[in-house]
Amino acid sequence: MKFFRIPGFFAVMLMALFTTAIVAQDEENGLKIVTDPEVISLDVGQELQLKAMLVNAEGEVQPDTMIYFSRARRALSVTRSGLMKALEPGSYTVIVYKTAQGDNPVMRKNVTVTVNYPKLDRIVFNDVPNKLYAGTSFQLESRVYDVLDFKREDLEVSDYKSSNTKVLNINQFGRINAKSTGKATITATIEGVTKTQEIEVVKNPVTSVEISIDQDVARTGDVLTIQAIAKDNKGNMVSDAPIVYSFTARPDDSRGEAAPAQIEQNGKFVANKSGLYTIMARNSGTIAETTVKINPRNVQREVEILGNAKVTDVPTSDLWVWEGVDGRDYAATGTHVGRGEAFFWDVTDPENMIAIDTITVDARVVNDVKVSEDGKIAVISREGASDRKNGLVILDVTDPSNVEILSRFDDGLTGGVHNVFIYENHIYAINNGRRYDIINIEDPKNPYRVSQFELDTPGHAVHDVWIEDGIAYSSNWSDGVVAVDVGSKLGGDMESIGGSPENPKMLGSFTYPSGWNHAAFPFKSKSSDHFYIAAGDEAFPGGIPAGWIHFFKLNNWEEAEEVARYEVPEAGTHNIWIKDDVMYVAYYQGGLRIVDVSGELMGNLYDQGREIAKFKPAVNDGIGPNQPMSWGPQPYKDMIFVSDMNSGLWAIKLKPVQGTASN
Amino acid sequence: MKNHKFFSFLLTTLFFGLAPSQIFSQDYYVYVAAESEDEVHLIHLDGKTNKAVIAKTIEVGRYPTETDGPHGINISPDGEHWFLSIAHGNPYGMLAKYKTGTDELVATTDLGMFPASMEISKSTGLLYVVNFNLHGDMVPSTVSVVDPEYMEVITDIETGIMPHGSRITNDGTKQYHVSMMTDELYEINTAGLQVNRILSLKKNAMKMEGHSENSKEHKENHEKHMKDGTHEEHSKKENEMKEDHSGHDMSGMKNEGMKMMHAKPEVKPTWADPHPTKPLVYVAGNGSDEIIEIDTEKWEVTRRFKSGKAPYNLEVSHDGKILVASYKGEGATGIFDLESGKEIAKITNSRKVTHGVAISTDNRYAFLSVEGIGGEPGSVDIIDLRTNKRIAVVETGKQAGGIVFWKQTAP
Repeated sequence: MKFFRIPGFFAVMLMALFTTAIVAQDEENGLKIVTDPEVISLDVGQELQLKAMLVNAEGEVQPDTMIYFSRARRALSVTRSGLMKALEPGSYTVIVYKTAQGDNPVMRKNVTVTVNYPKLDRIVFNDVPNKLYAGTSFQLESRVYDVLDFKREDLEVSDYKSSNTKVLNINQFGRINAKSTGKATITATIEGVTKTQEIEVVKNPVTSVEISIDQDVARTGDVLTIQAIAKDNKGNMVSDAPIVYSFTARPDDSRGEAAPAQIEQNGKFVANKSGLYTIMARNSGTIAETTVKINPRNVQREVEILGNAKVTDVPTSDLWVWEGVDGRDYAATGTHVGRGEAFFWDVTDPENMIAIDTITVDARVVNDVKVSEDGKIAVISREGASDRKNGLVILDVTDPSNVEILSRFDDGLTGGVHNVFIYENHIYAINNGRRYDIINIEDPKNPYRVSQFELDTPGHAVHDVWIEDGIAYSSNWSDGVVAVDVGSKLGGDMESIGGSPENPKMLGSFTYPSGWNHAAFPFKSKSSDHFYIAAGDEAFPGGIPAGWIHFFKLNNWEEAEEVARYEVPEAGTHNIWIKDDVMYVAYYQGGLRIVDVSGELMGNLYDQGREIAKFKPAVNDGIGPNQPMSWGPQPYKDMIFVSDMNSGLWAIKLKPVQGTASN
Repeated sequence: MKNHKFFSFLLTTLFFGLAPSQIFSQDYYVYVAAESEDEVHLIHLDGKTNKAVIAKTIEVGRYPTETDGPHGINISPDGEHWFLSIAHGNPYGMLAKYKTGTDELVATTDLGMFPASMEISKSTGLLYVVNFNLHGDMVPSTVSVVDPEYMEVITDIETGIMPHGSRITNDGTKQYHVSMMTDELYEINTAGLQVNRILSLKKNAMKMEGHSENSKEHKENHEKHMKDGTHEEHSKKENEMKEDHSGHDMSGMKNEGMKMMHAKPEVKPTWADPHPTKPLVYVAGNGSDEIIEIDTEKWEVTRRFKSGKAPYNLEVSHDGKILVASYKGEGATGIFDLESGKEIAKITNSRKVTHGVAISTDNRYAFLSVEGIGGEPGSVDIIDLRTNKRIAVVETGKQAGGIVFWKQTAP
């Protein structure tokens, strides 16, 4: 069990104990650290020399050496000699150390420094319309800035007033309700700073609202598009009339079910639960509604286990399954914290997968294995080499029963190669978790580097790279998924910008707040024509695997929106593969998950009945007995292969559909 | 009378015959990190039977499914906590603090690239850990200074390229480490938090004080290479040099490349340890197969002892009489008499890649971590320094590396 499994509460309690102990250390053996001044308050930009002295019980200053440092260097800098400079407002701690002298021990004192907030300067509203229709509402949002242009995140405006509450009123949360025609001024006030805006409420011409929806019978998980049109009494469309969408639900199973659907104000609706839904479009008091019936998605299928190539003496890492040049089916698997081995299997008969060769290299982790499109060349990654010279090894797998090492490539890769990809005679190798190198293998016995791609963001790191249609999608933790043109074959708004393996060019990046991005898989939905990137997490909060798959919908490389997720609440994601609108996710302790990702995506797919099947590989003599720890999936022909750290390689198949679809 | 004599004889025999091995026998404990297993083992040696076992294994690291690489390990002067550097992260490594005995994690803090060896100063109470940056670009790295109570980095002191071997004088005022790729010994003023002096360890080298001219030269060269487009070529050559970290032959280096880059490291120093009582520091010359003695008052190399192949870590005994060095290049341990400067014993280790050294506080035992190769387990070899013989081997997780002596107690 690694240390992160220690309960957080316990760790916090320990930290609290230490904090208490530290504070008590400014007095020892009758000696005391005294600072001048004792109470410190600075304005931003102000400097102050802090003086610390060691005094004895009689108050006499003793010779000694003091060191000063700030616990918030970016907000309050301090030199070793105690010259402080306030950089950002807030309350900070400067620690004064007295070094050990003779019998006197190390002592320290915490000094609290208050850096005053600058005076407030202004309030800025969001884009408030000058004109509102009577009976409609608007959500006002305010941001507060000080004279040094710091946005005050700690302040929230709650003092809103309307100059004429008969025309409009505004509540403490900034919600404006336009009541009757006329003009009124709204005023926001905080700490003596005000912002006003005049709003004219005009007569609302809307007398009717028409609603339509693209399907009135659908399945859970189907994203429906609502269209609402507001019209005046002459039947003319009022294009600037605001419409509010909402729904009521009558789920089939109403016993304690919650959050049965999700509706967005852009007119998108998706239901998690089957039942009848009444969808409403409202402008002021004018409401139109329509009803849709949502049936269960009914995509669930059973899994048939074909075979298990058991590996229980070393954890299995990634896999690759391919059709060999002889027409038979083969698989390669890596090993983790082991003996530097890659195993090769004949999986032509998945019920009797046979180990046919083993390649051993100087490594303790062979994390990744990949095979070229023509089935002739394989590459394996090396980490933990005994001489610390890591890298990759290129193999001839023309005869997978007699795999030959063609070459080793470790030039500049000795920090370790964690993941690799082969695409059009080039290997893309993750180099020391900092960048990826692109290596030409037209002559696999003489590979050479043609370029590298590295971000320039502070503290950047990269974990994996996957190439599809001439675009490299790398997974970069807090820098998210980064798309790079290495010879893009996409057209339209996503066409190449002239990149090549020799000259990779960045197209765009797609981040999310957690910073857990570990894997990525792009796909163009066959059923909806939308282009998505599935971005997978890897994280171990509290020592337990967690995380989910994020779905970004792209219009082009600049326009991307995170629209959906697939989150199994009790497990953590690892590698993913998407083929024919079906996603295969190795979900560590949650086993393999097979998910319907057809159509438009919105909301949490896990809640929408989109999970086709789950398979939890486990053997009682596994590295974790009877526990799945699934690493990587690969759909292959009509089967699905999955590697599992605890039990090796598995082949499964989805059983034929038993039930009938309900729409 | 006769009985009295016999009784006296019996007592004397018991005292002198059994005292060292039985009456005064002790239990000895060391912590050792298994870098490719993400484990730390607590090793217990029974001084009475000379049997050693793993008393406890503590799993460490950030990601259960990655190898995070615990590398450096040390214990606070009060013995209450042990500290562990974790080499790999995203991208930075980190420092973890544990309670000795219970081995509970207390706190962590992020450090630089591939943090390695460390020690806490008795004078400042601060921890000084080198950021080895083993696989990064050939640029100056840092020594991170950490407040071990709050577990916060309070400053980073710029140092040479691939710094390693952070050890502090007994009075806590000076920290010494080496810059492996510039053949330099660095002295840090622990209170001033700055580099005091730099000494070239090459033969016939000039003495330097203040700033590292080599580091400055490196920076200027780096900028020049970036401008003239030869950076890739230089990086490749630099990497070819730096990756050889364990004393392997680098004679294949092309000569023409040397004109345009850092001087080829000759010494490749990997460790520095100050003498407990004298103004001396001993350095492991991993590339020159020697132990180098530096007089810190004169600030010059005073003696060079020929060693086995690729000495990597070393430790001076607490009485200052001997020095124990790990020979990473030949899987052996060398023991030197510091007065004569002679290697008085060479002991073959149980594995091929000898790594770390820790000596018990009573100077009786040396504990050597030995990495092993590939899937082979690591080990801790225990040498009795009275006989200079190996008395026990304990198999550990893979790539046993960082090692520190914790305590000896009466059974």
